[in-house]
Amino acid sequence: MKKNKNIMAIILAVALSFLVPSIVKNYYWLGIFNLILMYSILGLSLNLIFGFTNLLSVGHAAFYGIGAYTTAILLTRYNFSFFPALILSGLVAVFFSLILSISTSRVRGDYFTVITIVFGEIFRLVMQNWVSFSNGAVGIVGIPAPQFFSWRIISEKDFYFLGLVIFWFTYITLNLLVNSKFGRAFIAIREDELAASAMGVHTVMYKILSFSIGVFYAGLAGSYYAVYNTAIAPSSFTLDESCLIIIMIVLGGIGNLTATIPGVIIMLVATEAFRPLYHYRLLMIGLIMVVLLVRYPYGILGIFNKITSMRKKYIYRKV
Amino acid sequence: MFTEVLIVGLSLGAIYALIAIGYSMVYGILKLMNFAHGDVYAFGSFICYMLLVKYNFNPILSIIIAMIIGGLLASIVEILAYRPLRAPEYRNISMISALGVAYIIQNTSENIWSRQVHFFPSIVSNPFVSIFGIKVPTTQYLTLGIVILVVGGLNLFLKHHKIGKAILCASQDIPAASLMGIPINRTISIVYLLGGMLGVIGGVLYASSYNVLSISMGFSGTIVAFEASVFGGIGSINGALLGALILGLLHSLVGFYISTAYRDVITFAILIIVLLVRPKGILGRYVEEKV
Repeated sequence: MKKNKNIMAIILAVALSFLVPSIVKNYYWLGIFNLILMYSILGLSLNLIFGFTNLLSVGHAAFYGIGAYTTAILLTRYNFSFFPALILSGLVAVFFSLILSISTSRVRGDYFTVITIVFGEIFRLVMQNWVSFSNGAVGIVGIPAPQFFSWRIISEKDFYFLGLVIFWFTYITLNLLVNSKFGRAFIAIREDELAASAMGVHTVMYKILSFSIGVFYAGLAGSYYAVYNTAIAPSSFTLDESCLIIIMIVLGGIGNLTATIPGVIIMLVATEAFRPLYHYRLLMIGLIMVVLLVRYPYGILGIFNKITSMRKKYIYRKV
Repeated sequence: MFTEVLIVGLSLGAIYALIAIGYSMVYGILKLMNFAHGDVYAFGSFICYMLLVKYNFNPILSIIIAMIIGGLLASIVEILAYRPLRAPEYRNISMISALGVAYIIQNTSENIWSRQVHFFPSIVSNPFVSIFGIKVPTTQYLTLGIVILVVGGLNLFLKHHKIGKAILCASQDIPAASLMGIPINRTISIVYLLGGMLGVIGGVLYASSYNVLSISMGFSGTIVAFEASVFGGIGSINGALLGALILGLLHSLVGFYISTAYRDVITFAILIIVLLVRPKGILGRYVEEKV
């Protein structure tokens, strides 16, 4: 019964989300919606890695960047069409995550975080300095608009639909994943890695799996970003960007996919709303983060659970 | 030339050590990656800059005032933003709150001192000395001397002073330490105070040996502190010292002989290799996980 209800809710949400551009005509707001969609994809994928498997990756922006660079290079230099490039972007990101996994399978906990930070920095520095490949700090410009049969994706509205398709694909597949056998294994690792391995969960394999699946979606988001922005530069894939994605999912509430979306919306709307306060923007964002998290460590999800008094259901405690 | 590069590298490593030790101590006690560490020391260095340049204070006095302000700032941050999230299940969340604090401090100092790069005057009058025919800036010898003093003093303090012993106990096991009557909150505040003060010395020495000071030093300082403490084995003071010296040597040698652009890439790659061979850092001991 509850499952049917959830499916109905998702179908309703999908239908409603496709109607948005016929209500919102303003291109400024549509642009913000597009950013929300893109960061939601990034947030959802990182939530799988961090929120469900407890692998704090601070290099998500690098994988997002790998996706963006793959699409940009394939589209501008090899005349690929967009959809093969989109899939390849995800796969290239997965390839790099597997290389990284060779090292991460040996280290654990905070040392994993260190390696992801270092990887993110290496990616950014190489892209900045390898001018013949990535055009250095200037980046790659003039990425052509994607074409899907006769549909040329060029306006904000078209990109909204494209982003929406990728977003729903991410949301639904990730929801199916976390409710499957794999998702339960991830959660077991999050709760207690040692206990999980004692119960027969192959922790190394599942950690690599969770990491590479999450990274695949980051590659898709990067590919979307490349065609949406038509220009990419290493300065978009910094450590700050990785931190921003983590902030979004923590504000939303870690370990819950749906909660990621309000977190993303809050951060992006706050960024936009504090734009007039230009000089104090970062200060306001920092204050919101600290005050909210000190009061509600589980973010929006924590507030929501308090209101609906379902707290017991989601809180997990470790001794 | 090699000797000069070596000495520059060692003194750079010594500066890194001052920043990394505070960072590593905090990690050792709370297992918290303090993302705000770099911004605290940058803030303190700016205070020192303001006192030196605007109000013409004596260098030693201004460093001491800056150290006190930096240390106090670090412990205030601890009380407001980290203490409420100290429970083990909020460990990852307190890291994000640390990031929020980093944003707040960074933005505040940006609004006070602007984002541009400032010229920081040298704190010593005689810029170069030559010892055994090797001509090296005085600040670099000064830095090495200060680091030896500080690390030696810190080791003595931790082994023999009551508060130092309390810090060591708390870093082994907080609940057990508090059961033995150690005031945990006060001990942790002292760790933050020490970490902030050491960081400010490092920041001022860096600024005065390279004559530059900017806001972006904060975040890069956090990364350097992080890298250095991981190299040596995070959580131990001597590990942080060793890691920082290695990192300083690597930065100056790679920057001089190979390429400045790829300096960080190469050091990061070496860091990954070190972690592959010794997953807990060079001096880190493998602790068997208990259930």
